[in-house]
Amino acid sequence: MAEDLNWAIGGEAGDGIDSTGKIFAQALSRAGRHVFTSKDFASRIRGGYTAYKIRTSVDRVQSVVDRLDILVALTQRTIDENLDELHGGSAIIYDGERSWEAEIPDEMTAVDVPLKSLAEDAGGAIMRNIVALGAACEITGFDVEYLDEALEKRFGGKGSKIVENNKEAARLGQEYVQENYDLDHLGYNVGTTDNDYVLLNGNEAIGMGAIAAGCRFYAGYPITPATSIMEYLTGRIEDYGGHVVQAEDELSAINMALGAARSGARSMTATSGAGIDLMTETFGLVATSETPLVITDVQRSGPSTGMPTKQEQGDLNMVLYGGHGEVPRFVVAPTSITECFWKTIEAFNLAEKYQTPVFLVSDLAMSVTEQTFPPEAFDMDEVEIDRGKLVDEDEVDEWLDAQGRFRAHAVTEDGVSPRAIPGTTDGAHMSTGLEHDELGRRTEEEDERVQQVDKRNRKVETARTEEDWDYREFGDSDAGNLVISWGSNEGALVEALEYLEDDDIDVRVISVPYLFPRPDLSDEIDAADQTVVVECNANGQFADVLEHDALTRLKRINKYTGVRFKADELAESITEKLSEEVPAQ
Amino acid sequence: MSSDVRFTDFKSDKQPTWCPGCGDFGTMNGMMKALAETGNDPDNTFIVAGIGCSGKIGTYMHSYALHGVHGRALPVGTGVKMARPDLEVMVAGGDGDGYSIGAGHFVHAVRRNVDMSYVVMDNRIYGLTKGQASPTSRSDFETSTTPEGPKQPPVNPLALALASGASFIAQSFASDALRHQEIVQKAIEHDGFGFVNVFSPCVTFNDVDTYDYFRDNLVDLQEEDHDPNDYEAAKKVVLDSEKEYQGIMYQDENSVPYHEQHGVTEDMSDIPDSAPDDAMDLVREFY
Repeated sequence: MAEDLNWAIGGEAGDGIDSTGKIFAQALSRAGRHVFTSKDFASRIRGGYTAYKIRTSVDRVQSVVDRLDILVALTQRTIDENLDELHGGSAIIYDGERSWEAEIPDEMTAVDVPLKSLAEDAGGAIMRNIVALGAACEITGFDVEYLDEALEKRFGGKGSKIVENNKEAARLGQEYVQENYDLDHLGYNVGTTDNDYVLLNGNEAIGMGAIAAGCRFYAGYPITPATSIMEYLTGRIEDYGGHVVQAEDELSAINMALGAARSGARSMTATSGAGIDLMTETFGLVATSETPLVITDVQRSGPSTGMPTKQEQGDLNMVLYGGHGEVPRFVVAPTSITECFWKTIEAFNLAEKYQTPVFLVSDLAMSVTEQTFPPEAFDMDEVEIDRGKLVDEDEVDEWLDAQGRFRAHAVTEDGVSPRAIPGTTDGAHMSTGLEHDELGRRTEEEDERVQQVDKRNRKVETARTEEDWDYREFGDSDAGNLVISWGSNEGALVEALEYLEDDDIDVRVISVPYLFPRPDLSDEIDAADQTVVVECNANGQFADVLEHDALTRLKRINKYTGVRFKADELAESITEKLSEEVPAQ
Repeated sequence: MSSDVRFTDFKSDKQPTWCPGCGDFGTMNGMMKALAETGNDPDNTFIVAGIGCSGKIGTYMHSYALHGVHGRALPVGTGVKMARPDLEVMVAGGDGDGYSIGAGHFVHAVRRNVDMSYVVMDNRIYGLTKGQASPTSRSDFETSTTPEGPKQPPVNPLALALASGASFIAQSFASDALRHQEIVQKAIEHDGFGFVNVFSPCVTFNDVDTYDYFRDNLVDLQEEDHDPNDYEAAKKVVLDSEKEYQGIMYQDENSVPYHEQHGVTEDMSDIPDSAPDDAMDLVREFY
């Protein structure tokens, strides 16, 4: 993995860390390099340590690793926070003219660049980060011209003068390093390719998937890290005749989305931890009124307010079991950014085909991580829309009772009733969260109650056979060591396989995107000598579920520091876990 | 919409389980008549209700309807109207539903000015849970949970609406059938959020705010030369705690409903069977 380059910029929130990182990531992507970004940020607007990290290679990269090659440090804390990842060959770009005196370990290469004064020479101190990017280009042998396009994209709206100044700032940074340092010994040489890539994060992929799937209505309440789905849709969904409402709270958001769905629109809400708690009240109503609704939960560290800007996969029990009574539902969890796109589309289809809530479960790491893909990974021609048993004026007749009333909750063999949306002649009916008869009218009759409960549950049984609930698989399918995971851990696991291979450890990886219904992994677990379940929570919620399914004890790797798994670190954990004794039955 | 719709078309064949004499009968009749009178029919009408005696209304009426959870009817109505500007949306609720658990939603629905009518059956008590104080109960009204009265002032829904930027505020009395129907009709015809607080007496648990009490005390604004377009006059009326008024307190004739403000005109239920033609542009944005 010598081709890999790990770059980061860090400073205080408000220092323009995010936009600087994004510019460099885009430049690398335009140069035909693969990019994988990660962010460390605190829950505050200004101040507090924040960093934007980029791993880049000509080969595909889908994880972070424990290594940092080039660091742009705007504060001493940036150096201190990343000391563990820095190594003898690392170069640290900093501004020696600033008031803090950089403490840089001797074995590392200190690259002192007067970022602020060079930026001023180019037209303004605000461009000091761009000077640093130019310096980074020189150190890594990356052509500074690739920055130009990214700068145009970023600053084009502010006029050509601003763009030109920024280009100049980058060049001043590049030239300064060229003239004052000889860094060839570091051996960084960032190559380029002719490939065209797009660079996007998981939340953008969910938003894009929603539009592709025909979602027209979104209601949500701002909450980290789900908000950027709403921000993506705002300003784009209107082009397709849709609308976003920023509701007064999550209770309102899910009910607005429910109203829109009831009236026939493909509709979604998204939230995170604390917000999904508030929405729980309405889960049962969505299911009982048999309304198709996509509810997205971008997980973050909980419980309570927890660590709002940190990674966790702690809401599995919530989405599997949340809500009083028994709520038939589907739970779909994308395992990568491309899957964020495809599973969103699938979630809308499942919701309409089975007229019940579909939970789309992502996590913070996936939501803020940007990754490069060939555009064909999002081939819109492949998008299929299935609206299920939506009946029109001509078909309504088949579902009327003797008195001409529409049987909106007709008991059917597959558990799915016909759906007439408002405006359909003779389709008028009421739906309710109360237990009801076929007409949607309240009942407490024992037989009708049982029929309706069975009917709703039957949807899940129908879907079990009708739909594909497969898992994704990597590594050696014959290996005795089985590692199972869900959510965003997939990328790190795939890369961990390379480290494990180096140590002659054969592993089969199963990454599960469907959490309910889910593939039955009993045979796979039985066939393995030992199974390890990897997830970002403390209690092993998915491991619990799998133990229940397979009736055996499983080993667990749990990370709940708030930081996602890194490929190399995960490989070590797996090696260690495999050598431990199998837990007692 | 057909012109030969009768109000009985909005009636379901389910017999109400409201107590005999309940104000909700009159409230509902007026709503059905107003809907028919304004040219709507059950197939283009969506009624949303919350929980409580008032929430049962969707069962007794015939239209597209959702009977939701306590206090959340207004957000549901908002979603319906935004997705389907072509539908007539009516939200029905009670004083507990609307001014207690749903108070937050009320304020925001009012200020959003979504084009729907909101009819609140205000009986100043919790009926279905058998007689507890409601947000509009008088401060000295003795109930099972407030034996010496709530000892806090009642919510003033009219003033709350006005302070939240309401474009239509009215109050009616379930037993004054013609006036009630007329007022609900005006709320339906209003371009924006048409709010009607209806005195709908609870004959079982409230022996203070009775039919007789309202008959004796109700002042009709129509007879008072009140100009609903006069904001200052509206302020006086809604803040007047000495009298019980009937009529339209305030109407902003220039009101522009939310969906028009936001350029929403399309029927969102109508989607293509594949991704949009230019969908690859969405991908290319990420180059």
